Amino acid sequence: MIPLTVLKAALICTVAIGMVGGLIAWRERPTPGSVPLAVLLAGQCWWSVTLLFRIDAVGIAAKGFWVDVSWVGIAVIPVAWLFFSLEYSGYHEYVQPRYVAVASIVPLCIAVIGATNTAHELMYVHSTLVEINGATMLDRTPGPWFWIAAGYTYLLGLLGTIPLLELITSDVLAFRAQSLALIVGIVVPWLTNVLYLLGALPTYGVDPTPIGFAVSGVAYLGALTRFRLFGTNPAPIRYARRLAFDRMEEGAIVLDSNGYVVELNDRAATFLRTDPDDILGRAFADALPQVAGIVDCAGPNDRMVLEADDGTRAYDVSACSIVDYTGRTIGRSITLHDVSAHLRRQRRLTVLNRVFRHNVRTTTQLILGCASEIDDDAGRIADRIEGHAMAIEELSEKVRRAIDLFDRDRADRRPLPLDSILCDAIDSARDARPAVSVDYDGVPDDVYVDELLTVVFEDLIENAAEHNTTADPAPRIRIDVRSGEPEVDVVRVVVADNGPGIDDEELAVLEEGAETPLRHGSGIGLSLITWGIDIVGGRIEFADADPTGTIATVEVPIRSRPP
Amino acid sequence: MASEPSTQSRPTGSTALWNRSTISRARTVLERLRNALLYSSTYLALVAAAEVALVMIVLSLPVNLSPLVVGLVTFAVYVNDRLADLEIDEAVAPNRTAFVRRHQRVLYVAGAIAYGVAVALAVSGGPLAFGLTLLPGAFWVLYALDYFAALGSQIRRLKEVLIVNSAVVALAWSVTIVGMPMAFTNAPITPTAGVLFGYLFLATFVNTEIPNVPDVESDAAAGVSTLPVVVGVRRTRQSLYGVVLLTLGLIAYAVLRGLLVPAAALALLAGLACLVTTIAFLGRSDAERRLAISAELSRVPALGVLVLVTVGL
Repeated sequence: MIPLTVLKAALICTVAIGMVGGLIAWRERPTPGSVPLAVLLAGQCWWSVTLLFRIDAVGIAAKGFWVDVSWVGIAVIPVAWLFFSLEYSGYHEYVQPRYVAVASIVPLCIAVIGATNTAHELMYVHSTLVEINGATMLDRTPGPWFWIAAGYTYLLGLLGTIPLLELITSDVLAFRAQSLALIVGIVVPWLTNVLYLLGALPTYGVDPTPIGFAVSGVAYLGALTRFRLFGTNPAPIRYARRLAFDRMEEGAIVLDSNGYVVELNDRAATFLRTDPDDILGRAFADALPQVAGIVDCAGPNDRMVLEADDGTRAYDVSACSIVDYTGRTIGRSITLHDVSAHLRRQRRLTVLNRVFRHNVRTTTQLILGCASEIDDDAGRIADRIEGHAMAIEELSEKVRRAIDLFDRDRADRRPLPLDSILCDAIDSARDARPAVSVDYDGVPDDVYVDELLTVVFEDLIENAAEHNTTADPAPRIRIDVRSGEPEVDVVRVVVADNGPGIDDEELAVLEEGAETPLRHGSGIGLSLITWGIDIVGGRIEFADADPTGTIATVEVPIRSRPP
Repeated sequence: MASEPSTQSRPTGSTALWNRSTISRARTVLERLRNALLYSSTYLALVAAAEVALVMIVLSLPVNLSPLVVGLVTFAVYVNDRLADLEIDEAVAPNRTAFVRRHQRVLYVAGAIAYGVAVALAVSGGPLAFGLTLLPGAFWVLYALDYFAALGSQIRRLKEVLIVNSAVVALAWSVTIVGMPMAFTNAPITPTAGVLFGYLFLATFVNTEIPNVPDVESDAAAGVSTLPVVVGVRRTRQSLYGVVLLTLGLIAYAVLRGLLVPAAALALLAGLACLVTTIAFLGRSDAERRLAISAELSRVPALGVLVLVTVGL
């Protein structure tokens, strides 16, 4: 048995800690959990004070009185504990006056019955004074309401423990010390009470649970203030997740393991023009047959597109399994991504492609035909018309390439050997400009890159060749390839020419990636190159060559050789 | 003849500089200490503890923890009061408000610790001591909840009513200062205790009205009825002389009836003399804030005289 003075000193410390902690918690308002924590500490303070008065009181009546009035504080604790836990862990929807009132009905009865025990003996049926280690202590036989109070306290204690354990096991607590604070706060008071009820504590028959609650209160206060210090109070996290789910651009539908719709965000309801109340709780195939039809019938690699009946909207549909920590599938998440605008642009590009591929080319051919029939002074006017018509044809060719590029952006693209791409591009440039000499040492056959780069290197080398029209120095292009630079899976291609160089204004527009009416490039060729490299995930840099010309350094990912 | 070098060397340039900087550093430290003592109201806690000690000696009560408890409660109450009235105090006590604003969190935690420890210690004094200590805490929580503002027009009105406001403050402190040591020692209520209560009540009443003199303009603007606002500074001085006369009468009555031993009476008179001196300067001195502090400290000489006389005897 511990000395009585030690027990009293511990209880006095408990009062001090409870009061200080309660007042500091009170100051933390409106931090979630601060008010219930202050109430909890006030309850344990009262309990501790009455225990001290009970120890010092003389006579059975006086000691009995302090036990009876202690129930006012004891009754408050489980309610405060529960609502601290709910508020702190973010379950604010349950922290409402009506729920507090309902949870407080039994404690109110406990407090009244406890405080008026002498009138009815429902809390304690028998009281007697006993000598324990030389101290006169009160021994009471619990009545029916004692066990109701104990049961209710443990019930609320258990309910309050669940959200805190959920918090500890979730990934929102970044700091071990804070998790430890919560565990200490949960374990200490209940363990103390269990040990007391089992008669395992040498405390002269005095219940030391309030000491446990003081430890708990200090631990929670530490958690409360430390979370605030680190700006990671966990209370809003649940709301943030909910908010992210509700406000996300994609529509989201959650199915349980039995295929029933258990969640649907606002965006999905808007996309599907439905009311969540009509959908939730129903079988997926029955509630949303149009989505279910696509999801359930699609193969693993099929692209799933849901088109609205009126053809105005379209959605990319994706489905993924939801698994728990054991890897067991517990449901599915279906997301709908609005691709209506994308599809509209795609249709417009198709029309433009057709216009450039057929109409412009046909019209240009007609102009060339007509020009050849003009009989003028040595055919000079006809030559000029022909030249301009060819320029239109060249431009339309580039636009077609650009449209192809965008089309290929969406399609699955094959890997091709870089060497064959560069050789084709060099041949094409030599055909167009026979005066240009190209130095190229070749690339190993196993270096494969995206087929889209065919367009890029054709344009890049052609660009280097076509702007170099002077005879002195003789137009020259040098192509160097370094595989595995700057990283293992990257190939660097350097195309250097000795032409006039690229205008600074043009380069600035390319770097910014956007044009304005006042600030724009002179053509489409360089844009085509940068767009293509961007699509394959590469990068390009332009630098001035010495004494004249441009050095274009292209770095693109190496792709694996096709089987 | 060449002059001998003086054995009393003058400080060199660097030594003089060092001395000057040490002095200025010491002065800064002292100034900070003084500010902390004044602005955090620690001196009021010490005064309250001294008053409890005075009561204990006069009533011949055994040594107990009550001076410590009352001192801690006083500190907590005043710190909380300063923190709650930051906005209001800004105009009347700018230096103090700046200090409190700067150390808000530390002061709140210090106040909470002081109060928590006071309550815990009061438990050892029994239920009555515990109840007395708990009362300011209840007001603390209610004040923070703004219940006074909500319920509050009646209480607010009470605070604004002439004399009643000072009387309520005087009553609360007198009950605590006399009641706490008696509760700790289970001492019976005696006529001497009544005399001490009356003395402290009247003296605290005077204390409370003295700071109203420099605040006369702001109180008038806020519609608070204080003696200086209603009757003017000169009449206030005269009224406070009247209260002192009443206190003097009480002491004389107690001595005549044998309720106070001469040493105790002498001590109480010393305190009263300090109070009268302070009142005499009311409206006649520019150091009005110092007058208020001197009134608050007026019971300290009483304790000093009592200790001196008791030890001397």
